[in-house]
Amino acid sequence: MGVASVLIGAAVVTALFTVSLGVGDQVGQEFTKYGANLILQPQSNTIEIGLPGVNMGSVTEQKYINESDLWMIKTIQYRANVLGFAPFLYQMVTVGDGPNAEQAVMAGTYFNKTIQIMQPASPQDPSEFTTGIADVSSWWKVTGNWITDQNDTTSAMVGSNVAQKLNLTVGDSFKVSYAGAQNGTAATNVKELKVAGIMESGGAEDNQIFVNLPVAQDLSSRPGKVDTVQLSALCVRCPVEDIASEIQGKLPGVVGTTIKQLTNAEMGMLDKYQSMMTLVTAVALLASTMGIFTTMTASVAERRQEIGLMKSIGAENRRIASLFLAEATLIGFIGGITGFGVGIVLAQFIGLSVFSTTMPVKWEVLAVVIPIAIGVSLLASALPIRRATAVEPAIVLRGE
Amino acid sequence: MDDALISLEKVTKVYGGGTRALNEVTLSFEKDEWTTIMGPSGSGKTTLLNIIGCLDVPTSGIVRIAGNEVTGVGQAALTRLRRENVGLIFQQYHLIPYLTALENVTLAQYYHGSPDDSKAVDALKNVGMGHRLDHPPAHLSGGEQQRVCIARALVNEPAILLADEPTGNLDQTNGNMVLQLIERLHEEGRAIVLVTHNPDISGLGDRTIRIVDGSVEQDSKFRGDRNGE
Repeated sequence: MGVASVLIGAAVVTALFTVSLGVGDQVGQEFTKYGANLILQPQSNTIEIGLPGVNMGSVTEQKYINESDLWMIKTIQYRANVLGFAPFLYQMVTVGDGPNAEQAVMAGTYFNKTIQIMQPASPQDPSEFTTGIADVSSWWKVTGNWITDQNDTTSAMVGSNVAQKLNLTVGDSFKVSYAGAQNGTAATNVKELKVAGIMESGGAEDNQIFVNLPVAQDLSSRPGKVDTVQLSALCVRCPVEDIASEIQGKLPGVVGTTIKQLTNAEMGMLDKYQSMMTLVTAVALLASTMGIFTTMTASVAERRQEIGLMKSIGAENRRIASLFLAEATLIGFIGGITGFGVGIVLAQFIGLSVFSTTMPVKWEVLAVVIPIAIGVSLLASALPIRRATAVEPAIVLRGE
Repeated sequence: MDDALISLEKVTKVYGGGTRALNEVTLSFEKDEWTTIMGPSGSGKTTLLNIIGCLDVPTSGIVRIAGNEVTGVGQAALTRLRRENVGLIFQQYHLIPYLTALENVTLAQYYHGSPDDSKAVDALKNVGMGHRLDHPPAHLSGGEQQRVCIARALVNEPAILLADEPTGNLDQTNGNMVLQLIERLHEEGRAIVLVTHNPDISGLGDRTIRIVDGSVEQDSKFRGDRNGE
């Protein structure tokens, strides 16, 4: 009974600690489903134009983020909290030709890009990081396939509105042309693409065509350039603003803007999650304490004769107390060990149910759960042990 | 009285609720004396045994054990006095069920601070239980359990053995065997205080004290007389 009480408490604590520690990854990955919460843009110089006393508006110098600098995002102090990012290079293109031609926005991005981290911040850090639009837009509904090859220069993912307008289905080929200036003269670049998948986000992306970044860079003759970077960052114990300012420090000329509403919602969710776990843990430990208290009280009551006998043959109170303390410690230890095993199974159940993934076994949880289990067991035994030491040895002769 | 192993002067014990179990009892018990305490149920026999055995303290009066005054000492000192001077034999044996016969005996040594397996084995052999060392109480007859209880009481070589109805739960054969054993221990020089309401046993000791309503009604010494000496 005592071991079962500890087992239940230890199992709940183990499950919640395991989920809690795994949540940094799992909840974070879950949050990426809600999209990016940080947008990086190049710092633009805005120049006011006009005459004295006459304001004629302003012009903004077109600036870009260098694609070659993006690896530095994974070298900031909070790099582990950067769950994924995707750069975007936008351009207006003409889809098709003749009278049926339509204008659409083409966005070059990463789908599944492995980035080399030139100078990892720590020797333990990996030298590569694979990321892409799926990390920041995983809620997209895709008919057909995602583009998975980072070197695929002929496939495109087409927004559902564009596909409807142009009557495109998965597997269809279509032509895009970009009219721009090349070497000071007007030039039109044409590219034939094939629909890998048709995506639907419910947002502006439904009106866009997505291709691998080099395709867009080639088409618009802007090699190595990026307009914006959408970044999914999670910081449990720090604001996302800190991540933004760190990135600004690493990538000069880049401004990080947080999407506060989403960020705050994420933090709020995490806070609620942590509060709920703390509450459940407290309730579980309280239940364990009550269970052990009941067990130990019953044990002392059942063993009054035995305690009286021990005292009558010379046992001092400290011997009686140490007997029950040892028993409580053993109950705590066995309950803690078995509870840890049950808790790991419970954590997998929670992980699969809530996050659709297993939770890694964190052995450091065992180092926390065992002392907690023993501590709870000893705490719950304090009053019963006091009662045990108060048993009078004379009861063995009185036959009570 | 100064040479007495145990002495009681005007000892009174009143339990909560006002029950007066002992009323100004003055007695002394000498070394190597076998005293039988008799009396009807509720007369105060067991209370007297509790006080002699340092299991309880009187409400008033003075108790001395082996020259040490018990009155007013704390529980720890009382435990120490009991451990060093008293061996207890119970009617219901009170063996710990999950320990073997040998372990039950060594438990008393453990609390005494002198665990010694060979001495515990000798104590069990001394009561004829050398062949049952590793048996738990459930595998022993009543007489055997009582003998293990006696071995436990003896193992620390106490000055006095207190026996509370030691044959009360035994048939005549086993009862006689236990009494013969107690008689042998007495002959070896041990003081014995035995509580019983069996008149047949009262004749075995050197002295019989009859308690009625918490007071000594009769105190008969017949050392030597019993054997016609």
